[in-house]
Amino acid sequence: MSKISIPIGPQHPLLKEPLSMKIDISGEKVLGGSLRLGYVHRGIERLAQKRNYVQTIHLVERVCGICSHIHTTTFCQAVESLLKLEVPPRAQYLRALMCELERIHSHLLWLGILAKHVGLDTIFMHTWHDRELALDVMEEITGGRVLHGANQIGGVRFDLDESHFPMIHANLEKLRSQILGLLDILENEPALIARTKGVAPVSQKTIRQYGVVGPVARASGVDVDMRRDNPLPPYDQLKFSVVTMPDGDAWARTIVRAEEIRESLNLCEMILEDLPDGEVSKRAPRNVPEGEVIIRSEAPRGELFYYLRSDGTDQPARLKIRTPTLAALCLLPVQMSDIQVADIPVVLAGVDLCVACADR
Amino acid sequence: MTYFRKRFSIISAIFEALIKPPETVDYPKGALMLPEGFRGALLFDTDQCIGCGLCVRNCPADALHMEKKSRDEYKLIHYPARCAYCGQCEDNCRHGAIYHSNQLVKPTDNPAGLIVVLKEKKEA
Repeated sequence: MSKISIPIGPQHPLLKEPLSMKIDISGEKVLGGSLRLGYVHRGIERLAQKRNYVQTIHLVERVCGICSHIHTTTFCQAVESLLKLEVPPRAQYLRALMCELERIHSHLLWLGILAKHVGLDTIFMHTWHDRELALDVMEEITGGRVLHGANQIGGVRFDLDESHFPMIHANLEKLRSQILGLLDILENEPALIARTKGVAPVSQKTIRQYGVVGPVARASGVDVDMRRDNPLPPYDQLKFSVVTMPDGDAWARTIVRAEEIRESLNLCEMILEDLPDGEVSKRAPRNVPEGEVIIRSEAPRGELFYYLRSDGTDQPARLKIRTPTLAALCLLPVQMSDIQVADIPVVLAGVDLCVACADR
Repeated sequence: MTYFRKRFSIISAIFEALIKPPETVDYPKGALMLPEGFRGALLFDTDQCIGCGLCVRNCPADALHMEKKSRDEYKLIHYPARCAYCGQCEDNCRHGAIYHSNQLVKPTDNPAGLIVVLKEKKEA
């Protein structure tokens, strides 16, 4: 049968973000594909060089709409490292609490998108409903539902008082009971298993070749998690397990993310239990001493890399951001071969695309 | 039985959803509960402002602008359409002159509303 090339995107109903793809098909079989990125490039790295450090926090928060908090946390940690500023333990714990809530809502959002792509709209409605519980907690404590504005250089801008705890505990409890029930359903749902098991498996070798990180790498048996491998406080004091699966297919990615939601719920409770007393921020000087630093942290989608160089002024001399989704996107053409046309949405959803993150 | 439970496990969730009340708020008919710390419409206390310009210095969206001739003669302007409602001006202000309320920003069809003069102080 002859080969047909289908251009998809950059604007199309499958994804909410602009991504251009060219997929070669022969009948129902996908032969290969290629990607074109850059439709939402905003020049954030260059813009950062024209703003002072305080303004840059709000700029890097807008790299991604899902994992906005981890970007500001990593940037603040980079600046604090150059300043040799020790962040109060309470602020470190509050940052970690937000990071884990963000992981929960990011993974639930992904589960919903995967379910919608395979036709399980009920699961989509449930996961997105449950995700609101995590968003409510974040809105209540920071004032922002998506853009939290929670971080500042030297600590955090919010604090938890006694009035917050009942609401947080109630929401986390409700989230736990609803999520665990939902994940039990998901893990036994024959329709989901049939659509995802064995679809576009990626080997451990390919993952390492492409430098893929996060849940996609862990689903292929690559045991990597920055929270454990390169722990920034308070993760060195928290106990959690890193979930891996050997298969590397869309089903393994679903299980890895589902287990990570459970781990994050445990971590949230652990953080609230061990939350130290004291101040939540320290006053930071305006100018940052000359130097350069690399900070790696674990975003919901994998390892987030920040390189910051300072020339002693109040503006960054260079800021380089490497987001986890960029490597995962490079993996897409590899997966777009020897699959059925109907599996394309599953492959696309499986890597947890964030084009805004990758383009910056 | 196990087969039935596995095959139709989602059905119980569907029936549960049928009897649940709606989760969404019927806004604007229903009451919208915004948290206390919600960063909504910007409020300004003219008496507290000393014209130091700290709010302008760190504004990430260039939404605040100050035309300053001297300590006693300045004009502080807010551009609501540019504002990112990040709360940085509130953090920077040491006198509590500029702060967020937990009210939503209402849309306007008045072009004059795009430039708000927060304070205009003229030399006595």
